[in-house]
Amino acid sequence: MTTTVPVTITINGEPRDLAVAPHRTLLDVLRNEAGLTGTKKGCDVGDCGACTVLLDDVPVNSCLVLAVEAAGRNVTTIEGIAPAPDRLHLLQENFMALGASQCGFCTPGIIVMAKALLDQNPDPTEEEIRFGLAGNICRCTGYTKIIEAIQVTARQMAAAGGETA
Amino acid sequence: MTSVIGKSVKRTDTLGKVTGGAVYAGDVVLPGLLHGKTKRSTVAHARIKAIDTTKALALPGVKAILTHGDVPRVLHYGSPHPRSASVTQDQYILDTKVRYFGEGVAAVAATSEEIAELACELIEVEYEPLPAVFTVEDALKPGAPAIHDVGPGGNLVLDPFVVTRGDVEKGFAEADLIVEGEYGMGRPTPAYMEPNVCVCQWDPLGKLTIWTSTQSPFMVRGTLAEVLGLPLNKVRVLVDHMGGGFGAKQDLFQHEFLCALLAQRTRRPVRMEFTRKETFLGGRTRHPGTVWIRQGFKRDGTITAREAKVVFNSGAYGSHGPGVTAVGTAALTSLYRCENVRLEGRCVYTNTPIAGAFRGYGVVQTYYALDILMDEAAETLGMDPAALKLKNAVREGDVAPSNHPLTGHGLEDCIRRGMDETGWASRSSKPKAGRLRRGWGMGCEMHGSSAYPGIKEQGNAVVRMNEDGSVTLLTGTTGLGTGAHTALAQITAEELGVTFEDVAVVHGDTDVVPWDIGAFASHTTFMAGRACQMAAAQVKAKVLARAADRLEVSAADLEIRDSVITVKGVPGMSLTVREAIAAEKGIPAPQLLGEGSYHPTKSYSFGAHFVEVEVDTETGQVSVLQVVPVHEIGKVIHPIAAAGQIEGGIQQGIGHTLSEDFVVDHRDGRPLNASFVDYKMPLAMDMPPIRTIILETAPSDGGPFGAKGVGEDPIIAIGPAIANAIHDAIGVRFRHYPITPEQILAALEEKAGAQAA
Ligand code: FES
Ligand code: FES
Repeated sequence: MTTTVPVTITINGEPRDLAVAPHRTLLDVLRNEAGLTGTKKGCDVGDCGACTVLLDDVPVNSCLVLAVEAAGRNVTTIEGIAPAPDRLHLLQENFMALGASQCGFCTPGIIVMAKALLDQNPDPTEEEIRFGLAGNICRCTGYTKIIEAIQVTARQMAAAGGETA
Repeated sequence: MTSVIGKSVKRTDTLGKVTGGAVYAGDVVLPGLLHGKTKRSTVAHARIKAIDTTKALALPGVKAILTHGDVPRVLHYGSPHPRSASVTQDQYILDTKVRYFGEGVAAVAATSEEIAELACELIEVEYEPLPAVFTVEDALKPGAPAIHDVGPGGNLVLDPFVVTRGDVEKGFAEADLIVEGEYGMGRPTPAYMEPNVCVCQWDPLGKLTIWTSTQSPFMVRGTLAEVLGLPLNKVRVLVDHMGGGFGAKQDLFQHEFLCALLAQRTRRPVRMEFTRKETFLGGRTRHPGTVWIRQGFKRDGTITAREAKVVFNSGAYGSHGPGVTAVGTAALTSLYRCENVRLEGRCVYTNTPIAGAFRGYGVVQTYYALDILMDEAAETLGMDPAALKLKNAVREGDVAPSNHPLTGHGLEDCIRRGMDETGWASRSSKPKAGRLRRGWGMGCEMHGSSAYPGIKEQGNAVVRMNEDGSVTLLTGTTGLGTGAHTALAQITAEELGVTFEDVAVVHGDTDVVPWDIGAFASHTTFMAGRACQMAAAQVKAKVLARAADRLEVSAADLEIRDSVITVKGVPGMSLTVREAIAAEKGIPAPQLLGEGSYHPTKSYSFGAHFVEVEVDTETGQVSVLQVVPVHEIGKVIHPIAAAGQIEGGIQQGIGHTLSEDFVVDHRDGRPLNASFVDYKMPLAMDMPPIRTIILETAPSDGGPFGAKGVGEDPIIAIGPAIANAIHDAIGVRFRHYPITPEQILAALEEKAGAQAA
């Protein structure tokens, strides 16, 4: 019943031609139209950060962005974080190894947010990490191991000369 | 020496979580999928006079609407542990009455979520309002409106639950000092990150498949089958990953029935997904309530008698009310030794959101009261609170709440270790003046692994060794996010003598895996783990028998480690597991199957939390500066996962104590803060550093390799520890949670006034 608008959104490096209703959120289009269900919906109103993606490298709550606003732009989701199909991003490695993901529902949003954080500030203090994650709710971990995984990643990246994976 | 357990192997379930590939129920896409929505009541107590769906049905895209006349009318258990004493049978899929604001009254399936929502708005419900009660006091008044026809009457969910031990009168007569207090609890909710969601599909033969975010898939299967009149082999429940549950996702929710029926009616798959607001309205909360306790003490701190009255608010339905009341009340027999005990627990219906199972299951409330009262007593006795608790800590041989004798000295070990770690004896006692005032507090807890004796549980496992020596573990336990499946694989590998990587876990399909009661009661590793160990032992015996044949030695002389079979005392004589079982000369490899069924009794884990807080006397804000949790949980299977449980429990416990309260307007029963903005939880900026210490000093004979549970323990002791620390900081005793900044400011003002006067 609603009319759709054709848009091209580059998702994880791949231009995607999609027909979207003007009122649909980027989150819904990613999950339902683009088939990328890694990005989660925890609230749909901008309160939890589970839906965090990068829009032209800037982290946004994809539930607060209309899909049409993303036309012609670059979107990076959790599925596009790994540097190669057979290799994980260091953040992903460390989230696994250090127990930073429990139920995992917050994890995609937090990893995407952490990537943006480290890209901007490769050597963050604990306070800066906590501030950076202020909009991401995790109900399982107490954040202890999430902070640790991000700190360890920052150190490893520094040791590897800024390489992220 | 163990080779696989006790190590933090890489959790296999988290690969999908860090890459986005893990499939949660809401991620399931099926051709022709319709979207379902629940129409929810806007009154707290009413009879439904009429429902008009004409306008909604006329909306293009609407495929079906169900109201109470369209669904089977079967009185069913709110939580699917049918026929256990823990739960009530007081719900219909859709009733002719509503009992709380937000209860489902109709359901719509449409081609999009927006259309389904719009259709819900177009459904017209005519209510005949009934008098409503929102507090326990009002619900218990003579002549109060009866919310249910079932149950003992008088709005009681169950007959009062009474525990007596020894002679309470004699105990109080022997006391030098009697301390008493009444403690009040707000209404925290689990607020798991994944809103409730399910997808239902029927096949042409009339079989229902449901993907649902549940902790207890076999219970969902059983109750759906019973209510829909299907044999168990016509209901298949699938759950791979789930985004948290914390106990609440043990209940069977209205939308799970409605989704199945909408899919049946439309002959198309249907998804029903809660919004965050619905997750508050239609979810389950912890039981609010009051706990009154009176304790007698000798001058040396010995407890002579304990009397308590526990009253829980169940909300509109019973759910886990009986279990929570029994477990929470019975917990007061223990923690601190006392021979003369009289306890009474009650649970009361009100027209408020449903309280259900939530991590800590009644014990959070009762130990909050008991532990603060111990601090109050210490103050009066002139004793150090930790010393008083240590003196009275339960120990080896004492009778547990379950009536089993306790094993070991776990609680004493936790208290002593925490005192050492924090330098408790020499902690700062400098005057608490100035704007920012700091204080230390500690609290204790114990909690049972398994729900026995409330439920006679059973853990099952099937272990199969494939012809290449790899192992498949089939388990009915759910992947709640705790890492339990990794722990089960570790236990299986350890027992069998293979590597962790050799074991693959199959779970999440009730058509395939052995029956399981569900992931709750801190029992998965404890109970299913033991079943895995039993099943693995059977497979191991078969492998060794085969190897013994090949090596021409006795099986008793063989051992397996890292998938290599060696002869004890004969270096060089060895065989890989794969070689031992391989096919040869056209004869297939043997069928190597083991099956474990374990009926646990009970073990208890222990904990003591030490907390430092800072109170801002100008804003009333309490910051938790550091937490040192010490837990005794028997043999640790996966240290990082165990620590993760502890840290997450502390986060929720801090929330309970300082901010979380799902509030209902006492005029009309309307929830006032059904969103993440208004329901305040501790997040990244609020969480303190946590220095977790895990002890293994009192292993359980009942658990695999001595392991006990840890899932619920960490949410219990943090609350009283914070309340006691606030008292240490500002000298004000709070007997409730959450303790809000406004209350801190008011109390400080009152105190200043009293001092000036
Ligand atoms: S789903 Fe977007 S912020 Fe919660
Ligand atoms: S891991 Fe469950 S919400 Fe973060």
